Amino acid sequence: MNGNLVKTTLRQSILYAGLRISPAAMAASGVLLVTIVALFVPPFIGMADNGDFFRIIYSNGLYFNLPDYDSQYFGYFVKQYGIFQYYNENGTMLHSSQSLFIKLAIGLNKLFFSSTVFDIRFQAAIYLMLYAAAVYLLVEGLTCRMSRRRGMAVAAAAIFIFGDTGYTAYFNSFFGESAVMITMTLVFASWLLLYRRRYNDYALLFLLLASTLILTTSKQQNAPVGIIVGILSVSLFWVRKERLFRCLTAASAAVMLLAGVLTYLNISDEFVNINQYHAMTRGVLMTSENPEKALESLGMDKQFAILKENTYYDQYGTADVKSEILQQDFFNHYGFVSILKYYVAHPGQFAKILDTAAESAYTIKPAAMGNYEKSAGQEFRAQSRFFTLYSILKESLAPKTFSFILLWMAVTLGMYMPSFVQAVKLRDARGMQRLVLIAAAMLVGLSGIFVSIIGAGDADIAKHEFLFTLSFDLVLVLTVSGVAGRVFGAERKFPAANSPRLGPAAAEGSTAGKGVSA
Amino acid sequence: MVLLALLTALLTLVPPAPAAAAAGGRVLLLYDSLAAGTDKEGNVAELQRLLAAYSSEVTLLSIDEYQTGQMDGYSRIITVMNNGDIETVNPQYARDTANFQGQLLHIGYHVPEQLRKAMSLKTAVDPGTSASLSIGDIAGLAFQASDMPYIVSFKGGRPYGSLSLEDGSLQAPFAVSAGRYTYVPYLQGDSGLLGLSYVLRDWFAVTDAPHTYLVLREIYPFSDLELLEHAAERLYESGIPFVASVRPVFGNTSFPAMERYAEALRVVQSYNGSIVINAPAVRPPINSSDRSLAGKMSTFIDVLVNAGVAPLGIAAENYWTYDKEYAPAGMGFFDSVVLFPDEQIFYMEETNVSKSFASSLYSMTWEELTGLPHTGKALPQLPLDTAVTLELPEAEEELDAMLQSLQGSWMNFADYRQGNHSVNTDNHTVVSSGGVISINGQTLNVAYSPQAVDGNYQYQEEQKVSFAKLFSVQSAFFIVVIIFALLLFGALLLIGRRLYRKKY
Repeated sequence: MNGNLVKTTLRQSILYAGLRISPAAMAASGVLLVTIVALFVPPFIGMADNGDFFRIIYSNGLYFNLPDYDSQYFGYFVKQYGIFQYYNENGTMLHSSQSLFIKLAIGLNKLFFSSTVFDIRFQAAIYLMLYAAAVYLLVEGLTCRMSRRRGMAVAAAAIFIFGDTGYTAYFNSFFGESAVMITMTLVFASWLLLYRRRYNDYALLFLLLASTLILTTSKQQNAPVGIIVGILSVSLFWVRKERLFRCLTAASAAVMLLAGVLTYLNISDEFVNINQYHAMTRGVLMTSENPEKALESLGMDKQFAILKENTYYDQYGTADVKSEILQQDFFNHYGFVSILKYYVAHPGQFAKILDTAAESAYTIKPAAMGNYEKSAGQEFRAQSRFFTLYSILKESLAPKTFSFILLWMAVTLGMYMPSFVQAVKLRDARGMQRLVLIAAAMLVGLSGIFVSIIGAGDADIAKHEFLFTLSFDLVLVLTVSGVAGRVFGAERKFPAANSPRLGPAAAEGSTAGKGVSA
Repeated sequence: MVLLALLTALLTLVPPAPAAAAAGGRVLLLYDSLAAGTDKEGNVAELQRLLAAYSSEVTLLSIDEYQTGQMDGYSRIITVMNNGDIETVNPQYARDTANFQGQLLHIGYHVPEQLRKAMSLKTAVDPGTSASLSIGDIAGLAFQASDMPYIVSFKGGRPYGSLSLEDGSLQAPFAVSAGRYTYVPYLQGDSGLLGLSYVLRDWFAVTDAPHTYLVLREIYPFSDLELLEHAAERLYESGIPFVASVRPVFGNTSFPAMERYAEALRVVQSYNGSIVINAPAVRPPINSSDRSLAGKMSTFIDVLVNAGVAPLGIAAENYWTYDKEYAPAGMGFFDSVVLFPDEQIFYMEETNVSKSFASSLYSMTWEELTGLPHTGKALPQLPLDTAVTLELPEAEEELDAMLQSLQGSWMNFADYRQGNHSVNTDNHTVVSSGGVISINGQTLNVAYSPQAVDGNYQYQEEQKVSFAKLFSVQSAFFIVVIIFALLLFGALLLIGRRLYRKKY
């Protein structure tokens, strides 16, 4: 522990002289640098459109201005779009907080570049700034009670994981995952900082509320996020004794819950249809050993078994998905609740689809969409390999069964349980927050999986499970930072003023023997 | 069996109805405007469908884009001038039209000078009025017209039908034809198209008698198949031959659900029903590199044929014939088509040259046909091969009403199988002629008794299990070992805890 304080090498002298930056600043700078190289230096990396962009961009005043845009679907990333000059007759097809970022990017684009052509890199720049800030706060939350050497190791791990272009390529796209990534990281970071008693609690509570609201309303499948975070954040109520804080905490929890409910109610008919269709064709029918019996148990015509494994996006189909016959005889006969009941009654089938879901649960960047512009001369759907070691390792090494997810959850929760139990014994509400935060992240991740499979079967699952893969990484980095600390160095000793109370958060070293501390 | 053989023999003696009017050849269709937002909007598209029904291969071109010489190679040209306000017409078009020696049909404003001279034509424009059309069996089909050109006088030509203003102030021919020139002053809505269908019959010099076919639409594998079979039986008993336009299935074709669908179609076929494959539902193409249509259609045709069902043609929206992918890949297996009006257009790759078919039916709904005012008791017989479409009823009551309506119409529906149709895939050839269907040269016996479909289908192949017994023993062994180890571990923990407590 004293090694890094006693040995004053030349390198350390230089660091002390002027380059001594915190691990958090180091991590944020590293992610910033890697992402700038990836997104803003040719060949630019981004994500090809899978057909979803039109829903969000047309209602925000943008349009596809490339004559051969159609031929670039899935294959190539497109960086420039047209800006509507006259009345935009396209109504809002998708209510999403993502529009805030797009509108801001269009404003900046008009100010600095063009009023007719939109360059998506303006949006990427906004996202990147926010992301770097989120990574800063996250790493600060992870390392603020650590020695410098240990903090730097955690910072390096954070750059390795969160600088991966599997994550950051989304910034150069109109997928909602960009907003999800930033806000989920902010939710995790702000809660962690609350636990660490770092920064002002009121400011952190506001950050937690704001990022949860944006996260919940960014995608319709995130409706459960508001509900989960809203419920679990009630535990923050006892963190401070001031009445104002408690009122604000209760109000925040209520607003988060409400946001979740409203997001659910706001799901448009077409989205309901798409997901409802996939929930049956790519879920119940796909996993059932006898699709006809499955249909009959749901009170439906067994002839629909013929739709097994069909997708809403099939270029050619037996029936138009919006046709009257499907509306009357198919969609009107089942819903989320009936499918949930079906899976409860057929746990074997549910386990099967959970395993199907687990196969894609560790994919950060779906392979279906290319990352390069057509002008870069790469093949259709070519994937960038720049700074993707983590995503490649994760995808190839993680055991792809749902049992592993359960095991990971059990082990992680078990590791942090002793310190939680001690915090409960000490009535230390702040000390309990770490496990509550981990549980919240896990539940949010699981909600991503459950909503995907019950709501949409295995269709587009790699993208639908983004929330899980991100939550997994956030919890992983928290766990790893605790474990890594024991390898790379010892705890930093803090003056008494910095640890004003007893409990796992302030005195991690003392609780280290009872669970992993980070 | 004897009766069946006799019936088959009789049918073969009936002379086959011609599959279509004489092929219309190549037609250059020029237009000045698609008249979007006006009463005439859609008249060019409907004219395209009408021309397709006369088996012509149409090249569609805007007059503004016309370049000198593009009329070369065409013996028939149609010009649609929807816009009376334009001052000048493309000079290259005007020059070539003046020198054109083939059949020229002009519709609307800006009548070419040579046409005007050839029939001493005088026209005027009525600013806006209620008018009616009488032509063929149709009498007094009312329509609203605005800025309607009409023929004031002509010499030496043949008039078609008559237009009457509601106030009786005007009686003018709907169209006039003289030599190689034909003029139709106004083309709008159903009245214009029906009138034009009579004019085109002469323009294409069609002599064969037209036929009207009953086409049942919206038949899916998940329709009420029992009701479909019952409808076929009732139509058969009523002596009404019909065509079933059936939706294709591109996957899971070995499932019992598909077998039941095929069974129902065989029953339909046995009750004098002809089968045509409805074009699949198309999504807005998000990837123009999807070239799977030909394989899918070919597989479905083969599935039907293997099940003893003989598809005789394809039914599709008209825009399919103007698509570089749909026309060859989706319709290329067939020489017979039923063309529906466009409802939702999703081109994969649009082209301005249509695919033509030897047999092509113009379609209109039963409601449209019965809504036409006519002179006799029977519904009017249109001058071209027509498919009258009805949706498959959803309940017995609807079926009763449908049959009642059909029987009361005095309409004489033709048997589609009497025409010449052929369908070719790599594996099968289906030919229909004179009421006899043959598959790969073998006459198809359409008589069929429905059979129950075995529902015990193995949806998922059972995975081959090797050493199952060994692994199950091994598994049980490890379970015992793990439970024992856990118990031992727990016991040791308890002992350790007691020792620790004793010591401290």
